[in-house]
Amino acid sequence: MPRYELALILKAMQRPGTSAALRRTVETLMERGAVVRDLENLGERLLPYTITKHNQRHNKGAYFLVDFYAAPNILTGLLDHLHRDVDVVRPTVLKKDAQVSTLKCHEHAQQNKMSS
Amino acid sequence: MFQVISGRSIQVARLLAPRSAVLVEAVRGRKSRTDPVAKSKEGRIKVPPPVDPVEMVVLKERYTEYQLMMRALRLEFKEEVLRKKYEEETGSLAEERARQEAEEHRALMAFNNQENLRMLKLRILRIQKEKEEAERKQVEAAIQREQEQQESIKEKERDILKLQEEAKNFITLENLDQRIEEALDNPKNYNFAIDKEGRVVKQTMLQ
Repeated sequence: MPRYELALILKAMQRPGTSAALRRTVETLMERGAVVRDLENLGERLLPYTITKHNQRHNKGAYFLVDFYAAPNILTGLLDHLHRDVDVVRPTVLKKDAQVSTLKCHEHAQQNKMSS
Repeated sequence: MFQVISGRSIQVARLLAPRSAVLVEAVRGRKSRTDPVAKSKEGRIKVPPPVDPVEMVVLKERYTEYQLMMRALRLEFKEEVLRKKYEEETGSLAEERARQEAEEHRALMAFNNQENLRMLKLRILRIQKEKEEAERKQVEAAIQREQEQQESIKEKERDILKLQEEAKNFITLENLDQRIEEALDNPKNYNFAIDKEGRVVKQTMLQ
């Protein structure tokens, strides 16, 4: 299954609210047959510009990163659902590329020269 | 009166067989057939030039002798030419030459055949070698492919094992609360700063 990343911007809330929203999101994902791999918190940050969503203007947002494995056909449904969630300011699903090799460029070039 | 013949009256000229360089014929010039004779030529009777009989006889004899000699000479020369040609084609020398030609031809053909045989042998050897080379290369390629396949299978197996290991850390319904708490407690910061010397600064201010 391809690997996706959900960059989620939640409303700046208190801890219980945020945790409830996260729980809701992850459960939605799992309902739709995704396998959630990891959940990262990028902190509560000032948004680059004021975002208006659900008749509310937001200046600060809590950034979260959820990577999961899912079938491609659920994505539209998922995004639809997330747009309708009041606590979500902006959901973004991206495909996760294969890992770039951890060799530094110099070593990589040398390896290529030796093998060719 | 006399006109140079050209084009249409060629047949007439051939009949007369003149000996002069230019073919000449009596042709009515300015006057036509029906015109009256000129006044200055009214009583004219055309008289051929007088012939001296003695002179005639002498001339005739000389001419016959002369023509005989000329004809004889001409025929002699013609015969010589024909004989030469005949000699050329069917004389003894011609046979010699023909024989030598045949010999040469045979020798050359033999040489050619020899060369052909030699080249054939070389060619066969070369083709054999090439075939063997190709076979060897094919076998090598097959082995290579096999190896690569094996490698890729191993790679995939390793990936699977790695994934299995990582699967232990995935989020499940039981982990969910715990993981959420964990995440909220540890905000991660991916920002960093780098300068032209390549020094990396990972500690930045998290807003």
